Amino acid sequence: MTEGNVLRKDQLEISLVKEKKLIKEGNLKDDNPLDLSEPFAELCSACRKGDLKVCQEKITEGVNINARDPYDYTPLILASLCGHYEVVRLLLESGALCERDTFQGERCLYNALNDRIRNLLLEYDYSKSTDPLQPLAAHVASLLTREQPVTSDIVVTAADESLHLHKFILAARSPYFRNKLATAPESTSGNLPPTIPPQAFSVAIKYLYLGEAPRDLKSGPGTGFTESEVFQGIDRVARHLEIDTLLDSIIDSGDRRLARQRRTAEIAKGRDQLETWFRANVLGNKRVVETSKASSEKWDRENPIFADILLQADELPEDAEPGREPTSTLFPCHRAMLLRSEFFNTMFTSMFREAYVTDHLHIVNVDCSPEVLEIVLTFLYTERADFPLDVAVDVLFASDMLFIEKLKTKAAVVISTLGSGNLSQSEAAKTRGTHEEAEEEELDIYGIIRAAWMTRVQRLEEFAARYLAYRLEAHIDSPEFAELIAESASRIQARQETDSIELLDDIRFYLNERFRLRFDDAGLGEMMRSAAQQPQAAHPAAGADADADADGTEKEIEKVANGVDMIDLSRVAAPPAAAASQHDRDHAPVIRTLDGEIAGDEFDKDAANYQILMAKLDAILEELNLEA
Amino acid sequence: MAMRARQKIRAPRKGLASSKGDDFEANWQALSGSLKRIHTKDASDLSFEQLYRNAYNIIVTMRGHDLYERVKQLEREWLATEVRSSVDAAISPSLLFAQDALDIQDQANERRAAGERFLAVLRETWEDHQLSMGMITDVLMYMDRVVVADHRKPSIYVASMALFRDIVLRSPVRPDTKTTVADVLESTVLFLVQLERSGQIIERPLIRHCIYMLEGLYETITEEESSKLYLTSFEPAFLEASKTFYQKEGQRLVESADAATFCKVAMERITEEKERCASTLSTLSEPKIKEVLDNELIKRNIAEVVNLEGTGVRNMLDQDRLDILRSVYVLSSRVDNKKTPLTAVVQKCIVDMGQEINTLATAPAPAPETTDKKAVKEKEKPMNQQTMSAIKWVDDILALKKKFDAIWVDSFMSDQVMQSAITTSFSDFINSNPRSSEHLSLFFDENLKKGIKGKTDSEVDSLLDNGITLLRYIKDKDLFEAYYKKHLSRRLLMKRSASMDAERQMISKMKMEVGNQFTQRLESMFKDMTISEDLTSSYKDHIRKSASHDGKPVDLEINVLTSTMWPMEIMSNTRDEVQLSCVFPREVESVKQSFEQFYLSKHSGRKLSWQASMGTADIRATFQRSNGKTARHELNVSTYAMVILLLFNDVAPGESLTFAEIQSRTRIPDHDLIRNLQSLAVAPKTRVLKKDPMSREVKPTDRFFFNNDFQSPFTKVRIGVVSGSANKVENNDQRKETEKKMNEERGASIEAAVVRIMKQRKTLVHSKLMSEVLGQLSSRFVPDVNMIKRRIESLIDREYLERVGEDPPTYGYIA
Repeated sequence: MTEGNVLRKDQLEISLVKEKKLIKEGNLKDDNPLDLSEPFAELCSACRKGDLKVCQEKITEGVNINARDPYDYTPLILASLCGHYEVVRLLLESGALCERDTFQGERCLYNALNDRIRNLLLEYDYSKSTDPLQPLAAHVASLLTREQPVTSDIVVTAADESLHLHKFILAARSPYFRNKLATAPESTSGNLPPTIPPQAFSVAIKYLYLGEAPRDLKSGPGTGFTESEVFQGIDRVARHLEIDTLLDSIIDSGDRRLARQRRTAEIAKGRDQLETWFRANVLGNKRVVETSKASSEKWDRENPIFADILLQADELPEDAEPGREPTSTLFPCHRAMLLRSEFFNTMFTSMFREAYVTDHLHIVNVDCSPEVLEIVLTFLYTERADFPLDVAVDVLFASDMLFIEKLKTKAAVVISTLGSGNLSQSEAAKTRGTHEEAEEEELDIYGIIRAAWMTRVQRLEEFAARYLAYRLEAHIDSPEFAELIAESASRIQARQETDSIELLDDIRFYLNERFRLRFDDAGLGEMMRSAAQQPQAAHPAAGADADADADGTEKEIEKVANGVDMIDLSRVAAPPAAAASQHDRDHAPVIRTLDGEIAGDEFDKDAANYQILMAKLDAILEELNLEA
Repeated sequence: MAMRARQKIRAPRKGLASSKGDDFEANWQALSGSLKRIHTKDASDLSFEQLYRNAYNIIVTMRGHDLYERVKQLEREWLATEVRSSVDAAISPSLLFAQDALDIQDQANERRAAGERFLAVLRETWEDHQLSMGMITDVLMYMDRVVVADHRKPSIYVASMALFRDIVLRSPVRPDTKTTVADVLESTVLFLVQLERSGQIIERPLIRHCIYMLEGLYETITEEESSKLYLTSFEPAFLEASKTFYQKEGQRLVESADAATFCKVAMERITEEKERCASTLSTLSEPKIKEVLDNELIKRNIAEVVNLEGTGVRNMLDQDRLDILRSVYVLSSRVDNKKTPLTAVVQKCIVDMGQEINTLATAPAPAPETTDKKAVKEKEKPMNQQTMSAIKWVDDILALKKKFDAIWVDSFMSDQVMQSAITTSFSDFINSNPRSSEHLSLFFDENLKKGIKGKTDSEVDSLLDNGITLLRYIKDKDLFEAYYKKHLSRRLLMKRSASMDAERQMISKMKMEVGNQFTQRLESMFKDMTISEDLTSSYKDHIRKSASHDGKPVDLEINVLTSTMWPMEIMSNTRDEVQLSCVFPREVESVKQSFEQFYLSKHSGRKLSWQASMGTADIRATFQRSNGKTARHELNVSTYAMVILLLFNDVAPGESLTFAEIQSRTRIPDHDLIRNLQSLAVAPKTRVLKKDPMSREVKPTDRFFFNNDFQSPFTKVRIGVVSGSANKVENNDQRKETEKKMNEERGASIEAAVVRIMKQRKTLVHSKLMSEVLGQLSSRFVPDVNMIKRRIESLIDREYLERVGEDPPTYGYIA
């Protein structure tokens, strides 16, 4: 590990003092405000425990993931300190900051439990832009220069400069345009007073389109305008278009963090404006009609919400009430925003019917439920992707079909976090008992894994494997499971790239992780070794394969035993686990393995269970007549 | 905790239903119909969404692979039937059979028309295919994403392009021939290119589009850059055809024997081919066709062209045809970094011109260098004329240099190789003139004395710079130093320099050019001059203070020179015989003694030797005219002349002194005395003395009178010494003398270098020692190898060195 790129402690403290001062003076917004609310405390607690599900729920609820608790811990620091890779990843993907050369950022790196987490944190350094709204802003800004397909519906002229713009963005972002367009929605051109310098005008438009503030105002010699003239012009434009924060956004402070914070705030504000407009106009104008009559729905091209396409989503057969005509929902939309999906982009670029402009808006059928289409549209317009678990799979498929990678990832995240159930370490401790009450299955894991295969989401495959591994006892004997393994094997045959079964490998990996975690908790390498050897005598049937596996385990154990400090940390990190096992012991004085034999102690039992499960996996393979 | 998460998550509703064959067929029916409509350009009312959904549904029911194969099959059929037939129809027999017969003009015309028709059809076919495949790819976007990635297949677009290649381009035109459409395309394009080369106008965009097609198709499905059809099939044929063409063209041009035409055509061809690559064919070929041009047209012929009698480079140089020279240079530099033929001619030309200048400069001298050693009785031309020719030599060389500098910059694009070639040639011919050092020094002398008067600083600067450039060429810099020193000393002592600033500038320029060591002595000469000025003034102070006004005061201005730094032996002509010093008149003698006293009191242990031959004196002379008037003139004369004239103070009017008398009374060396008497009595304007008999020669018996009738319009009269004081070309004796001295000095330098090297190395092989000595001395002169050997022998004799080994010969240093 190179320490060269991590700040020394004294340097960190200096920067901390400076930062505090800036915050106190009000120059800098605190990236990590103190948060004593109950939900935040719950988030922190979940981060300690590694409870993905709760984390996702809290994030969806809108808890500030960059806040800090009374001990100055941020959720990210907690998760990285406690070594929960998945939680760290979730936090980072949701916009948790880990910026180099800041106190909290360095602290996070410094505290990372292992290199895997540390490298993950480094990957997400701000330079890679983790502002979750950035893609939206980039898309809107790109509309200004995009040539294909044509989406602009108004030409605004100031002095001698004409820009091809979009009415709905103007209406959403500028009260001036909103009023103007409300009175004359059909106008295709607009003029601004000629007194406004073209530079100022284009700066203002760029601002409306969520673009980066220009570095150079194109003033000075040769442009015919002095800098102050341009500034005055900008001021005038800002007042004219009623966008009061324009000037602030342009005056460059020079401070990277300050600029970033300001930009983040600007984009967030822009997004909120777009969202408000979107909810009021697009969602507000959606129409539910009978499917048979949907195609006769006529929307005039001149409509008050400037829609230029209608999206139709049919009601799902299972939702339909018997005896009633099936219905469809029509959403008036804007191509400019739909372009974010590659599907729509191709549709509007290619030379098919949809690309031609007609008097009445085209109705494009989208093969998903209205509910899902609304989620998709919400994401395209506002970058918001909060939806419950029960539609997550549908969203997954829809976004796969429409080529919206980010939404697809988001759906996968929702499934793999909210659906994770009791996958956290603390919960995992409970699965130790054989008499664990059969918990109600929250999701159809077989369906999930097939969906993962079809939509090619690696993350979801991993999740499913992990899910299965953590409750393998419940699944291993079912014929469905064997079928799944066979399916996985056949997938690989088709691909012909390796001769292993991916799903099985993944399950083994997580199974190993599941049991090893608890061996680590005890931190007693010696005991583990004997524990690992015992079941071999007890179950000679396990055969050579088990032997090999046991060897593998031993090696792992040795590795862990060498890293004494790591064990200490994890011991601290897992008090709930200890408590839980205490609880178990009280209830079950006799410790039994999965096949009912009485084990010497818990470690014996774990080891034995592990061997039993591994042996069963092998048995399945044999049955299916597969090599692995 | 959100309650809905408790709900059982719904299983995905797609794909799990076992694939229904009907669905697949139904979807495919709809899809294939639409795909055909796309091909027939009837797609405007097709719905993208519907087609996409058809394809999507097929793929989610795990039949993506089948879909892929079906689409391929559909494309194959379409290409094999519709497309092929339209392309085949466009191939007229004239394209098929008239492969090489483009000699007959009318047939060419016919073929051309047919070719263009064919290309147009092919272009249209290709563009249609591209367009419809673009649309089909759009529709099958999901298939490309999923199936292709899963099964490692080329995207449907790539696959269909490969089909186009195989079915349309790569199959025989007629069942009975082997000629394929691609072959016809190739020969047609080559034919058209050939037409364009012979000056006809062809439809470039049409060809360009067909080439686009070849560029857009690949041999392999992985589509590497190198497997473009253009590169694999068309380009080699094109290059081969070009090669033959340019071989012929080169031959034709050389036979026409006009270098200028050749260059013009070649340059035109180069731009033409470049343009062709940009506008008609592919830019990929540009470097390759360039290579063909370079090899076939230029490399083969350039040497011949450069040496063409009458129109070659020689002629261009003579006629100052810079533009064509530039073309020659550009062409040469394309094929050969060293530009051997060009440099050879240029060098030869420079040397020839230089030799001409050399002969011109030595022409006034009656005999060439080889014979003049024997020609003892050389009749010397008037000195002035020789000096003039020396200066002319330098001027001529500078002019030549200027000419070639201009050529170098304009035509040779300041090329390094050319520069060094030019430099070598200059250096060669300059050094082939044995008097180059002297001539150059004279050139400086002349300019520093007169030439720079009335010139601005920058003009002077460039003048000196020019001279310095020539100095750079001169190998024997030590010889130049000797001459320069001699000439400089005259300028300094006689105060003939036009500007001391220019002198110093010159020194600093030389210092930069040749080095510190070179100018050390010259600088110390300047130092002596300054010290002397101080000395003179402090002596004057001294005299004033001592205030001993005995007799008439004599104003003394003195230059004390360090004997080692100044060319004493050259100045005083007393090299062989021991000569008693001149007897000064009383007045002067007392001043001399007083100064000697003064000087030695300041610097004890020094010896002053008086160089009367170098001094001048201002004397006031009173002429009693026969009409009773008296005329006064201030005469500026040499010290010797002053001594002579003062003798006449004691001579009664009308009396005379003979040469012998003067000589015995003054002890002025014969040679100087004669010259001074000549200037006083023979020179027409400054006849202060009368001579009897009045002749040019001075004989010991000649008698001299004071000329009271001396007439001059000026009060101040400057009486120069007839010869010797001015710098001019040496006569042969002097030359030999100088050479001898030079050799001695060089011997010393060589010995010093040898000892320096050996002291450092202790032992060294002969050859290495030689090379090191040569290296050390090269900045000053080019030592003769034999001389070094002799010097080494001599050092061994004197036990500085010893022989250590014989094979190879090695020397050791004896401490």
